[in-house]
Amino acid sequence: MLNQMNLNSASIKRDWSDHAIWWEQKQRWLLRTSWTLEKYGIHADARLLYMPQHKPLKLGLPNGITLRLHACFSSPVFQTLMGICRMLNIRHPEELSLLRPLEEKKKKKDKDSAEEIYDLTEIFSPLKSSFAVSRPCLYNGMPAHFADSPKMEAIYKMLSVTQPPPAPEVVAKQYRPASVVDKAHINGRWLDSSRCLIQQGIRENDRLWLRFKYFAFYDIEPKYDVVRLTQLYEQARWSILLEDIDCTEEEMMLFGALQYHISKVSQSEPKLLSSSAAMDDLESALQSLEVKMDGESSSASEIFVVKLKHVTICFRPKKLTLKGYKQYWFKFQDTSISYYKSKEESIGEPIQQINLRGCEVAPDVNMAAQKFLIRLLIPAPEGMNEVYLRCENEQQYAQWMAACRLASKGKSLADSSFQSEIKSIHSFLAMQRTNPSSHGNTPANDESINTHSLVSPRYHKKYKTKQLTPRILDAYQNVAQLSLTDALTRFLQIWQALPDFGLSYIVVRFKGSRKDEVLGIAPNRLIRIDLGVGDVVKTWRYNNMKQWNVNWDIRQMAIEFEGNVNIAFSCVTADCKIVHEFIGGYIFMSTRSREKSDTLNEELFHKLTGGHEAL
Amino acid sequence: MDLLTQSLEQETAAPTSLPTTTTTTTNNNKEVNFSIFTDLNESLHELEDTDLDALMADLVADLNATEEKLAAEIQGLKVPSPPPTGSNVSTPASSSASSPLPPPPPQSTKPTKEEIEAQMKADKIKLALEKLKEAKVKKLVVKVLLNDGSSKTLMVDERQNVREVLDNLFEKTHCDCNVDWSLCETNPELQLERAFEDHENLVEPLLAWTRDSENKILFKERGEKYEVFKNPQTFYLWKKDNKALKAIKDKDKEILIKENFCGTSAIVPDLEAVLHLKEDGKKSWRQRLFQLRASGIYYVPKGKTKSSRDLVCFLQFDNVNVYYGKDFKGKYKAPTDFCFLLKHPQIQKDSQYIKYLCCDDACTMNLWVTGIRIAKYGASLYENFKTAEKRAAVSSVWTNLPPPPPPPPPLPSTSTFPPSPPEPVFAPPPPPLAAKSSPKPAFPQQHPPPNFPLPPPPAMDFPPPPPLPPIADHSEAPPDFLPPPPPSFGSLSPLPPLPGKSLPPPPPPCFRRMDQSLPPPPPDPGFLPPPPPQPMFTGAGAPPPPPPPPPPPPPAPTAAPSAAVRPSGSVRKMPPPPPKRTTPTLPAGGGGGGGGEGGGGDFMSELMKAMQKKRSVP
Repeated sequence: MLNQMNLNSASIKRDWSDHAIWWEQKQRWLLRTSWTLEKYGIHADARLLYMPQHKPLKLGLPNGITLRLHACFSSPVFQTLMGICRMLNIRHPEELSLLRPLEEKKKKKDKDSAEEIYDLTEIFSPLKSSFAVSRPCLYNGMPAHFADSPKMEAIYKMLSVTQPPPAPEVVAKQYRPASVVDKAHINGRWLDSSRCLIQQGIRENDRLWLRFKYFAFYDIEPKYDVVRLTQLYEQARWSILLEDIDCTEEEMMLFGALQYHISKVSQSEPKLLSSSAAMDDLESALQSLEVKMDGESSSASEIFVVKLKHVTICFRPKKLTLKGYKQYWFKFQDTSISYYKSKEESIGEPIQQINLRGCEVAPDVNMAAQKFLIRLLIPAPEGMNEVYLRCENEQQYAQWMAACRLASKGKSLADSSFQSEIKSIHSFLAMQRTNPSSHGNTPANDESINTHSLVSPRYHKKYKTKQLTPRILDAYQNVAQLSLTDALTRFLQIWQALPDFGLSYIVVRFKGSRKDEVLGIAPNRLIRIDLGVGDVVKTWRYNNMKQWNVNWDIRQMAIEFEGNVNIAFSCVTADCKIVHEFIGGYIFMSTRSREKSDTLNEELFHKLTGGHEAL
Repeated sequence: MDLLTQSLEQETAAPTSLPTTTTTTTNNNKEVNFSIFTDLNESLHELEDTDLDALMADLVADLNATEEKLAAEIQGLKVPSPPPTGSNVSTPASSSASSPLPPPPPQSTKPTKEEIEAQMKADKIKLALEKLKEAKVKKLVVKVLLNDGSSKTLMVDERQNVREVLDNLFEKTHCDCNVDWSLCETNPELQLERAFEDHENLVEPLLAWTRDSENKILFKERGEKYEVFKNPQTFYLWKKDNKALKAIKDKDKEILIKENFCGTSAIVPDLEAVLHLKEDGKKSWRQRLFQLRASGIYYVPKGKTKSSRDLVCFLQFDNVNVYYGKDFKGKYKAPTDFCFLLKHPQIQKDSQYIKYLCCDDACTMNLWVTGIRIAKYGASLYENFKTAEKRAAVSSVWTNLPPPPPPPPPLPSTSTFPPSPPEPVFAPPPPPLAAKSSPKPAFPQQHPPPNFPLPPPPAMDFPPPPPLPPIADHSEAPPDFLPPPPPSFGSLSPLPPLPGKSLPPPPPPCFRRMDQSLPPPPPDPGFLPPPPPQPMFTGAGAPPPPPPPPPPPPPAPTAAPSAAVRPSGSVRKMPPPPPKRTTPTLPAGGGGGGGGEGGGGDFMSELMKAMQKKRSVP
């Protein structure tokens, strides 16, 4: 009996409970201790290894950081993954999987291979409890096992706080898939969920990537999913930066703006929390405004007047004319600006009053030339009126710009976001000031992020920082008010709204076809892409699927859809088990909403993804 | 037909308590805003004498009632204010309605002086704050054209959304309430038309109209409004052939909707088509390959691939709305008549900032317009649809089963329905009215007769009122008070206690129902009518509770019937009354009793003058 052997060797004083026997020749763990050797078919010549089931593994997280932890080498990868996710406090481990990393070619040059590795190996075999506890209790806002020591807290912080934008060079150096076929190759690297690590050639201290594999994110609850949300964001961010998923220039600018905002807020968030200024109360809003603004405010009537001297204005209905900036006395009131010939006349009727509600506000700033223009496109029945406000200095510009932006959204200066808006304008101005001079990533303070690190390398070539910054600033106005969680969510939403979102590619050869084609696997459908044209030729939806079969001998998949539609293909860039697992996995994901219980139906997952090994 | 005519008559006859309602009918849409008096005169001229008489009688009754109340309420504080203003004020916004409540304290227990003073002070502050807000609430009187060429006039409050206005119109028109009913805006100059989305505020876009605008608002059925939820496959699987699409099963439709609208964000159908774009300032149209994405409309520049990175942004949706163009073939020499355009809502005349697009066929056009709406409004479209569906279901239940009172407020809640609530307050005036109104039971639309007996049904009509609760939010003070009212419905008895503080007098809201039985001396008669509204909101606010029924029992048996009837009648009307542009005066009235009175007086004298003029003219 096996456990007798165990007991014998256990005479050395040590905790052997994690050890088990690995039969290398047959690639098999002998875990059923009640079985006899004979039952296992072991003969005298068999070479058995007695070793721990949990071994350290280097895990590359979606945020690019490597973590060293103990993973189970003896259970199916799916269970191993559940253990890892439990340790990292990521709910819904079924959405993730392990991926073999790409070979790093530049190994030689890596002098600074002293890459920082966070060590989590202190935490040994994670609690055996199942995932029933999907809402872990938190201590100090983090799972108990992270609250033990400062070191652990640092690890949790790394997991749950977004990383600062990478230097542009780092992005440029990373491998970027150039074509659909390249992307398809990556998908050939997924580990098999139904077999254990060691069976798949993974050894102690090997490196694996932890990634979201199924793009069907279920029940994201920011309160409990801090790590999950953060890592998901990181994966999404990198997929954008590395052009793993295509987007348009406008979308890229918005992604850039959100990244900027997220990195800014995540650095300052803790402070914000303490002084959360939710001024619902009109009165308190009034008061704080009075204090803040150096203008007169009549507290009785929600009207605030900002005194700004020497603002000049120029109406420029058409053409670019350089002339015409004339000085007027301006007042900002509610959502309108009024202007007067002079301060003395400001008691009377203004020359004109312009309501900025619904207008477009754009900056036109050149720090070097000390040009601070606010460009307003003001809607009117006849079309849009273009108006320029020229401010004297940065301070004035930031105030007026902030006021214009709020007004364009129908908010008055009394809005609590006014001050933060001013601040963010200042910090963007700061970026413009520092960046153009120094090329590359000066170890700048957080005020000046190189905007090149917010967009993919394609735009590094296309735009200079000077050109890029205003564009990102432009997109930034629409997101500047978001909280950290909202910003993360927005980023993910826009990511998910991209047409190619959620597609995992595999190069296949359809039965009867003579050329390679690409199969795209999405959360709700399969698509067939013609490699020559790059177009989607056909779409099949899972809800029309009747059954699918794998012929493991000839490695071919056959799928039957309603209406007598049958397709069959063999897989070129990935094992057909991977494709099988993808499809079965997505079908499993779609069953989750129906099952009310919080527990993960492991059995069903294996049934849908396991293939013949599972049976 | 009968029902309809009947109800219409009633409407005219009913002008009753709310003069404004009647007046409004004549005004041209919009912009009536604050020019109450002029409008009044104008409108009065067009009124029938009989109407005027009725109106006058009501008003007088109103005044009397209010005066009595005033006297009764002594203190002279703001208590009385509600009544005087009430007549004209009408809608002032729910908030105002709520505000009056606090002041009334006089009646009930008399706490210590300090307490009273403190209370008064607090009330004053609240009132002042509310007035602040109130003063800024814009209201418009709007003429809505119906399919048959007739029109309805109603007042719209800044805080009302299109859904609420539609519900008002359902009550006024007795249509079948199906989900296709829409409010559309047309602009004859640009030859365009657009259906407002249910969650949009109505007032805002209307304020963008120019003074001399010929724009109209239509109330009609538009099948394309929610087509995407009835046949999602036409939008999300548009590439498939028609046969396959027709064969699609309901289950698959559901899945499509769930996939695309129930995720973290709505998914925009990925459309791609060659469309004709009108070139800036020219009459020529140019073909381009356009793509729709969640982030905007893009086109593929000449010689480039369709990959995302090569796309050029044509426009993003933040500041534009999408409109259908009418007869652009004639006007702009468009290749076809299937055109749509995108413009900032403020733009009312032809301009280089308007983007005109032309499709090859109607199908493509609907695909694009709907796709753009999804990109712009996302999941709110689906929310709107579900609300509309519920509303339609409720009304169909009614038509089928007249008696079933239960399913009331389709509107879960939305926010502000200011109009109806306030009304109640004023309603008190008219005992006389009651007589007239009693016939009105018809309102309930679908099943007029059955309703009478049951008080509850009326309540159901009111769905709109529910908004009241929300209102509470706006005004700080109200919240406290509002809650109490609901309980009152259930059991009359509780009411008395509620007043506890200063509430008693103001109770108008809560009492409505109870009045009869309730002791509150002064208000009693007047208040009866209002009751209905109250129940409404409570019920609506939450689920469709059966609150209405309870009230009837306690009240005097005799009173009950009349009350019940009345409510329905008055209620209906009441909602409309809010329209009164009188609002401007209102705030004043609401604020301090004195001010309100003054306003009322002016109004009355103005009205008198107008009537005399009118009489003398003939």
